[in-house]
Amino acid sequence: MVGYGFELALQGLRRFPRTSALAVLTVAIGLAASMTTLALLHALSADPLPGLSQHLYLAWIDTVRAKPITYTTLDGTGVVDYKRLRMADAEALLAARRAFRQTAVADMFARVEGGDAGHGNDETILAATSDFIPMFGVALRDGRSWTAAEDTARAPVAVIDSELARSLFGADRAVGKVLRIKGHAVRVIGVSAPYAPQPHFFALDQWSFSGSERERVFMPYSAALDVGAEARRSDGCDADTAKDKTLFSVDVTRCSWLGYWVELDTPQAVADYRTYLNNYLQQQKDLASFGRSQQAQLLDVPQWLTLQNVIPDNVRLNVWLAGSFLLLCMVNVTGLLAAKFMRRSAEVGIRRALGAPRRAVMLQHMLEAGAVCVLGGVLAWPLTLLGLALLRMQDQGFTDLARLDVNMFGALFVLATLVGVLVGFLPAWRVSMVQPGLQVKSA
Amino acid sequence: MSLRVMLASLRRHSLMPALVLLQIAFACAILCNVFFLAWQRLEPMLAPSGVDADNLIVVDNLAAMGRSFTAAETDAGERALRAVPGVRAASAGFALPMVNNASILLNLRGSTQVTVGVSAFFGRGLVQSLGLKMLGGRDFVASEYRPWGIGASNGDDAWNTGAAQPIIITQALADKLFGRANPMGQMLVDPEDKEGHGYQVIGVVKHMLRNQLGLAIDGRADYTVLLARSIGNTAMLNYAVRVDPSMRAAAMQGVKKAIDRQFAALMSGGVQPRVEFYADKRDEALKSSRATLWLLLGLVLAIATVTLVGIMGLTGFWVQRRTRQIGIRRALGARRMDILRYFLLENVLIVGAGIVLGMLLAYAGNIMLMHYYELPHLPLAYLPMGAAVMLAMGQLGVWGPARRAAAVPPVVATRSV
Repeated sequence: MVGYGFELALQGLRRFPRTSALAVLTVAIGLAASMTTLALLHALSADPLPGLSQHLYLAWIDTVRAKPITYTTLDGTGVVDYKRLRMADAEALLAARRAFRQTAVADMFARVEGGDAGHGNDETILAATSDFIPMFGVALRDGRSWTAAEDTARAPVAVIDSELARSLFGADRAVGKVLRIKGHAVRVIGVSAPYAPQPHFFALDQWSFSGSERERVFMPYSAALDVGAEARRSDGCDADTAKDKTLFSVDVTRCSWLGYWVELDTPQAVADYRTYLNNYLQQQKDLASFGRSQQAQLLDVPQWLTLQNVIPDNVRLNVWLAGSFLLLCMVNVTGLLAAKFMRRSAEVGIRRALGAPRRAVMLQHMLEAGAVCVLGGVLAWPLTLLGLALLRMQDQGFTDLARLDVNMFGALFVLATLVGVLVGFLPAWRVSMVQPGLQVKSA
Repeated sequence: MSLRVMLASLRRHSLMPALVLLQIAFACAILCNVFFLAWQRLEPMLAPSGVDADNLIVVDNLAAMGRSFTAAETDAGERALRAVPGVRAASAGFALPMVNNASILLNLRGSTQVTVGVSAFFGRGLVQSLGLKMLGGRDFVASEYRPWGIGASNGDDAWNTGAAQPIIITQALADKLFGRANPMGQMLVDPEDKEGHGYQVIGVVKHMLRNQLGLAIDGRADYTVLLARSIGNTAMLNYAVRVDPSMRAAAMQGVKKAIDRQFAALMSGGVQPRVEFYADKRDEALKSSRATLWLLLGLVLAIATVTLVGIMGLTGFWVQRRTRQIGIRRALGARRMDILRYFLLENVLIVGAGIVLGMLLAYAGNIMLMHYYELPHLPLAYLPMGAAVMLAMGQLGVWGPARRAAAVPPVVATRSV
């Protein structure tokens, strides 16, 4: 019965080709609009480090010795803060080693030159401690990462990515070569694959999504400070900081400029670490007088991304708009199909009179509606690619991440079929209600 | 033909009209919100800048690394810019127009007791350098300026002068803060700043577009003030340079050279100063808004097309179903005109009902969007606008089928179709 119904459905599609084409096109436009916006949202809300991020937590205690600065905005809300620590606190936490792995992280800036002076670039340096590379899954292609001992010894060593290696030394094999940062020699001990998780969750103060920006140098933050790399931003500085050391190039001993990430594998470890942080905060007796929040925070990656609102509002807004547009398209196609189906009432009446059950009539028309929507889905595919290409042309930093992956492609077809069922139900039901006798009489 | 007959006929065959109604309702709801979103983007584009846009060069991205610029360096830069051939006026400033990486926001309250969030521009002689048009009052005089800088100290008493500070506001602000009263000499206070001594209005300029374009919506584009602040020691600054219209290109070159000469040695870390004409900066700043507008326009066209096709398809079918009835009515004496009018009117009825439902949906949609995003309330004025568009589309969609219906000859009544 299904086979016959399907045959009839296909014949029905060919009967009024113009109406069918219009219906298919309408479905395609609606699906393409939805898929384009969903694909962007999907790309932006993807896990930045699959397999690793679920064990990563950002630890924060507010220990800046100053009254909190309030910022006035039109909506009265405060300014973003990136939950960073002062260096002394980061060092105390690092020394305690209470987590499975831990690292302080900050983006720093300096001009980095290769072997011959003059040939170099202004680089964003990822300054961290030895655990960063295993914790955050930086893939080493050659050489090694630095050790905890080298952190303590402030050893001038660095891991660079293969792109920088080629740019500075003309070859991937740069281990053992020497970089010059502000005149200081820094030895390359490892070469990594280009590393750019999206969003750039460990240093959101610099950028959140970018197809082009990334850190190409990884080194111990102690050594980065020694060679004169600059920390440009902070969440706040102690009250006794010189004013010209609060902006752009901050006072690294008084301002909070280091993000602190820990790796915790069990819920128990998370709870323990939270207690530890709170205890640490209790010991900072002199803090009470500054009216700062007395709360330690331990945020997992999704919480952190939500808090920082990394997905631009208009991306979600567009999903809503496209979704409601799809709804409009569905109502429209329902109408078109209803008109199309009702035109053949006479024919359906004859089929019914000859003994076709309601179910068969219903099935035939549901199949026809489904075929319209699946065809629409097929047509929506190139349209979605076109939509994504248009999005990428917008060049808003995050838009170049808009791609249609296999999952989204599957979702498109599930969506198309679902739309088919929803759209087909009402007209198919209506036409299956046609009375057999009446139609035969009037025909 | 009475309305009652029409309604009775609509009730008898309710599926088709119901589908048209639903389509109109959805389209109306989406359109109202899309128009509203588009207007949010369009408003900053249409807002008058108030400055001499074509002849104004804005220098930004001047940032000192590791140390701040001294007042002497800031002044030297200003003097060097004034000496460039073709330059009419130059000011060191902060958070100037179209500078997107720095802004100053203040809350001000005047005699109307409304608190308004405003952008402030800092710098000496900005009325001249920006080319602002003063409507009344006076510009600041040299003795009124107090030095100010960001990320650097200019003395402890630099901000709080112990007395009310002079302030120049825009006409739009004067209306908002003082209503019809004459703003000149009036006091403004910052409700948040308990220790401040407030501000006294000494001048009013016609327009001054605020520098955060995202906030230049809901008629707030002109909520900008000038404060009597000169730039002293600072980690960051801008310059506003007004040039002779006949020497734009040469002056641009000169300004670039002067900035390079004065600041190249003071800056580090790969930060490059940006020297651009205001008009070009505005173009750049509005790029993403323009892209969004194109997107919304595309959406509007898609909605219009889909709705038109839908109405035409449905009414076309519906007219065809009633060919025999039409024939009978024609045979009983109805004129072509009557038939045409009947279908047009019927469409108005259906679309009207759809619009009522659509407006409710539009409002609900707006409330939902407001809940999730920073969006203002949908002004009621958008609803009749959406309604008018939908009515026009409905009539346009029904025109073809109605004409075909009117062309049905009376003789059809005698045939059995």
